[in-house]
Amino acid sequence: MMNDKNSQKIVDIIQNWARKHSIWVLAYGTGCGAIEIPPTMTSRYDAERLGVRGAATPRQADVLLITGYLTVKTMKRVIRVYEQMQDPKYVIGFGSCTINGGMYYDSYNTIKVLDKYLPVDVYINGCMPRPEAVLSGFAQLQKRIAEGRANGAQQYKDNLEWYRANQKKIIPNWIMPEYNW
Amino acid sequence: MKEIKENIIQRIKANFADAAEKNDFKDNRVDFSVKKETIPSILFYLKDEMGFIHLSHISCVDWLEEGELEVVFIVWSPKDKIKVFVRTRLDRDNPVMDNVDMIWRQANTYEREMREMFGVQFTGLVAPEEFLLEDWQGPPPFRRDFDTAAYAEKTFWHRPGREDAQDVRETIANRDGEEIPDFAKKYSR
Repeated sequence: MMNDKNSQKIVDIIQNWARKHSIWVLAYGTGCGAIEIPPTMTSRYDAERLGVRGAATPRQADVLLITGYLTVKTMKRVIRVYEQMQDPKYVIGFGSCTINGGMYYDSYNTIKVLDKYLPVDVYINGCMPRPEAVLSGFAQLQKRIAEGRANGAQQYKDNLEWYRANQKKIIPNWIMPEYNW
Repeated sequence: MKEIKENIIQRIKANFADAAEKNDFKDNRVDFSVKKETIPSILFYLKDEMGFIHLSHISCVDWLEEGELEVVFIVWSPKDKIKVFVRTRLDRDNPVMDNVDMIWRQANTYEREMREMFGVQFTGLVAPEEFLLEDWQGPPPFRRDFDTAAYAEKTFWHRPGREDAQDVRETIANRDGEEIPDFAKKYSR
């Protein structure tokens, strides 16, 4: 049955519908943007009504939020975390620092373009993005999941060498495991 | 307060011949420049004999034009409510000075940071090599001759579109038929 194209389509639709209503966000903040997560999650904006909740460990999480500037030192941990996450997994670039460097455009220690290193599904701009913007970003992610377009993880698997080369360019002393899925 | 300050200046000058006092207009602040060999003994004296038991900060200043690095120790006396600045100048090409973390243990952290960010070497400092930077291969980044923009340009990708640093206010105003007020025009590039 799974080989049948049309039934696979139906399975995908149901799967995506279920996935979009159950988004578990890894409780991991990289920069100053993490301060916008508590108001988003608590009673004022209440992201849980959209199915967005916090998860404690990478293996239980679906979404990795890169909240703000990402230093080279944190980059190692983020890659490690991202590669531990299980499918389905999505990345949200949060704040202008992940888009073009923001106010750290000439910093010696922060990356400027996140999507060279990790596959980003949704960008939220702003410095800082308010909780409304964060919720709008999650709504956008849900829309993309429902349409089956949030396939950053697949992109990462397919172009692993390219991503790895970019990551190794800024992390010369690579001590992390090499995965080969 | 004035008498206490005078008393501190007198005592330090009597004990340390090379201590040059910089006149400070503030009543609760005393400023001294010493040779780098004197630093451990003057800090020991301030802590043990004069009650400056609290190390507030150690910082480093890069005097690029004079070819020197200045290390500043700030100590605070809770009894007299006075802080003492102890400054010393190091050669910029070979900045070596004595480690002082046997006086205050927390000095170890400041020294690690200075070693990494300014390249100041502390003889006898026992600490892991890396502190804030990992895998750093360039020159010490807090020195003034380190060009962060050029380094970032070389190391990282930049998203195209912001290299001209164009002011978009004018474009938006033209598009929407708005008028930029006069006071805002002088900030436009």
